Amino acid sequence: MASQNAVLHRVGLALALALLLVMPWLLGSYQLRLFTEAVIFSLYAVSYNMLLGYAGLLSFGHAMFFGWGAFSFAVALNHFPGIPLFGAVALAMASTTVMGLVVGVLLLRVKGTPFALLTLAFNALVFAIGIKWHSVTGGDDGLSIACPPLNLGFTALNVSHGANLYFFTLVIVGAAIAFAWYFTRTAMGQSVLLIRENEERMRFLGYNTNVSRLILFVLSGALAGLAGSFYAILNSFVSLDAVSIEMTTKVLLMTFIGGTGQFLGPVVGAFFFTYVQNYLSDLTDNWPLIMGALFIGMVLWVPGGLAGLAAKLSGGRKQGDQDGTLAGME
Amino acid sequence: MGEAAVFFLHGLAYAGLLFLVSSGLTLVFGMMNVLNFAHASFYMLGAYFAYSILYLTGNFWLALIISPIILLVIGAFVERFLLRKVHVHGHVHELLLTFGLAYIIQEAVKLIWGTTPQAMPLAGFLADTVNFFGVVYPVYRLFIFCLSALLGLGMALVLFKTRIGIIVRAAVDDSPMVDALGINVPMVFMGVFAVGAALSGFAGVAAGPLLSVFPGMAGSILVDAFVVIVMGGMGSLGGAVLASFIIGELQSFGVLLFPDFSLALIYMLMALVLVLKPEGLFGEKQ
Amino acid sequence: MAILQVIGVQKDFSGLQVLTGVDFEVGEKERFSVIGPNGAGKTTLFNIISGKFRPSAGQVVFDGRDISSLPAYTRARLGMARSFQITNIFQRLSALDNVLAGVRSRAGLRHNLLRRPHHDRDLMKRSEQILERVGLADQRHTPAQELAYGQQRALEMGVTLSLEPKLVLLDEPTAGMSRQETEEAISMIRRVTKETACVIIEHDMNVVFSLADRISVLHYGVMLACGTPEEIRADQRVKDAYLGEEEE
Repeated sequence: MASQNAVLHRVGLALALALLLVMPWLLGSYQLRLFTEAVIFSLYAVSYNMLLGYAGLLSFGHAMFFGWGAFSFAVALNHFPGIPLFGAVALAMASTTVMGLVVGVLLLRVKGTPFALLTLAFNALVFAIGIKWHSVTGGDDGLSIACPPLNLGFTALNVSHGANLYFFTLVIVGAAIAFAWYFTRTAMGQSVLLIRENEERMRFLGYNTNVSRLILFVLSGALAGLAGSFYAILNSFVSLDAVSIEMTTKVLLMTFIGGTGQFLGPVVGAFFFTYVQNYLSDLTDNWPLIMGALFIGMVLWVPGGLAGLAAKLSGGRKQGDQDGTLAGME
Repeated sequence: MGEAAVFFLHGLAYAGLLFLVSSGLTLVFGMMNVLNFAHASFYMLGAYFAYSILYLTGNFWLALIISPIILLVIGAFVERFLLRKVHVHGHVHELLLTFGLAYIIQEAVKLIWGTTPQAMPLAGFLADTVNFFGVVYPVYRLFIFCLSALLGLGMALVLFKTRIGIIVRAAVDDSPMVDALGINVPMVFMGVFAVGAALSGFAGVAAGPLLSVFPGMAGSILVDAFVVIVMGGMGSLGGAVLASFIIGELQSFGVLLFPDFSLALIYMLMALVLVLKPEGLFGEKQ
Repeated sequence: MAILQVIGVQKDFSGLQVLTGVDFEVGEKERFSVIGPNGAGKTTLFNIISGKFRPSAGQVVFDGRDISSLPAYTRARLGMARSFQITNIFQRLSALDNVLAGVRSRAGLRHNLLRRPHHDRDLMKRSEQILERVGLADQRHTPAQELAYGQQRALEMGVTLSLEPKLVLLDEPTAGMSRQETEEAISMIRRVTKETACVIIEHDMNVVFSLADRISVLHYGVMLACGTPEEIRADQRVKDAYLGEEEE
């Protein structure tokens, strides 16, 4: 049975990959752009779920990483002319990592509600810096960027839009999502789950749980920062919207609607949110009301989110699924 | 001197509003351990209901009475049918629920009343000014301060002089204990939640004519109320009084002294207190 | 040579003296037991040794090193493992994953971002061995919360042993057990602590007298007596203290 399941999994994975690879030929340019956006938000939501779903840390400040990454990327491009694309992306991630480390050291001194409040306060502070530091961030005007071509050695690709952008995103952002999945199986990822289960015992088993949480926080922030830089590439522009409380709300809704209990839940949520928002905003300006109602409905009746619902409908929980059974929030 | 006095009085009026909002917030947190993100939305709803009542009847006093009553009912409903339902799923879900509620109320208000700020014109003596040792000052701001002081006193009387008050205070300190005494704790929770919502509604009505009514009003006071209960110690009513005063004055003079940074300043203050003294400046150590 | 030395340990909580100078030593393969009536300060002493509290005065020396101010996780890394009186395991995890947590900690695989413990044959094998030692080999895939009480206690022991410690601290290992379960637990403890030092805090006199090489009696924060089971049995002060307690 188990091996049959594994084969099914592999076939499914191969099919999904094949589908992703032919996407540019299936979709028009507008639809492809939307799909690319959903992939970027998938990483953003997956990184958020590392905190919420795996560590049980409720943050109201994830946009500070997303926005910091986006702005760092734009600033790197604008201030270091001639910087290669990967250089700018790497710089953005590095700067988000440092920021995560500084903020994390301060934030992780508290837990529960004070932690949630503190993340909110830091998000607002970062936003305020964005507004006031006009010379660097452009303030309310935001920053326009000209994405340099991707140098592949034999040729240089313009990856700022269309199918090239899609494949570039698929490879880099996809790899980051794959890493996040791998992470849940590593010693570090398992430690995070165990700490949520029973922190006291972990300390008596030799784990410095504060360090574990800090590593997780920084890693989650760095991945959100990567998503932020791709968001900047996608729009050829960065505005304060990227670091706003609304962007934090967005990731919260995506992740929760998709489901915090499964690794793929946030991915489902990101796609769902991106497409439904796109569809609804054509019909009504009040789409956030519908999204909010959906969110409340989920909190009240479907705490497992869409992915949890799907798992339930497809014949109950699978046994022995490391992340599936544990990441679920009780 | 005269200018400073005016700012001081301004601060006092805002402190009154802030206290009305944060007292409910802090009591609910102390009792149910839920930080209610939707609490300031009750304040906003109070203001909008009052605006509509004033628009229809032209009577401010009617608005001042009816609007908080509607909020009382809404508060009871939210606790009984929403919050209590997610309680079993744990703390994170409760926070998420109130967060979602705040989001929905915000959007619903935009849908119903639009996004442009609405004025609430006053009539009669409330629209007058008084001469206060040579400083000309609007009556209405003094009225706000008196109203909140009065409501605050009423609340203190109920909490400290009645049986219900004793139960509520005991529930804030230790709810399983009260449960063990055979008191209907869920009922007490619902009551406090509803009264908190009504107080927030009062503040909203009072704020309407002063600050005008607009969809962003919940967000701006929510942040200040958070800072108040963080500083005052989560669950402490006395702390809320002191912290409301400090934040009210700080906001008032902050606009005067650092007009560009007053919002960032408030967040910085909250972050500082949370990082350095998580139990609050005036709260008891847990 | 002593693996653990408790030297003049005092503890007060906001003025209230709970421990007033406790001294003892535990040898390298010795089973040492601390007994005493309720409120004698046993649990406080236990928490000071394991690192939950710091002593107000005095020292805890482990393996020749003063550990009085080291955090619990460092003590665990040095080779000291404790069990809990109220079962304190990872309820939603399988028995195997429970012991794996300690096994990989011992191997230094705590924060590794690349290696996957479930794919490490050596770690898995060692975890299986631990489960065998506590008699749970057949339950390796059962979630901890679905185990029977006695089995949960065995798993508690397994998690403690998963660190392969030099010193095992057991906090009332037979609490809440039936007579038969207690018998089984005693023989298991005897088996698994053959090669390690062990400090047992216990209420049940039968358990203590059948396990311990040496016993010390704690009474209202003071060490009343310390010696072999025979010496303790014969000690008049101990009898007084215990008889006084049992009359209540």
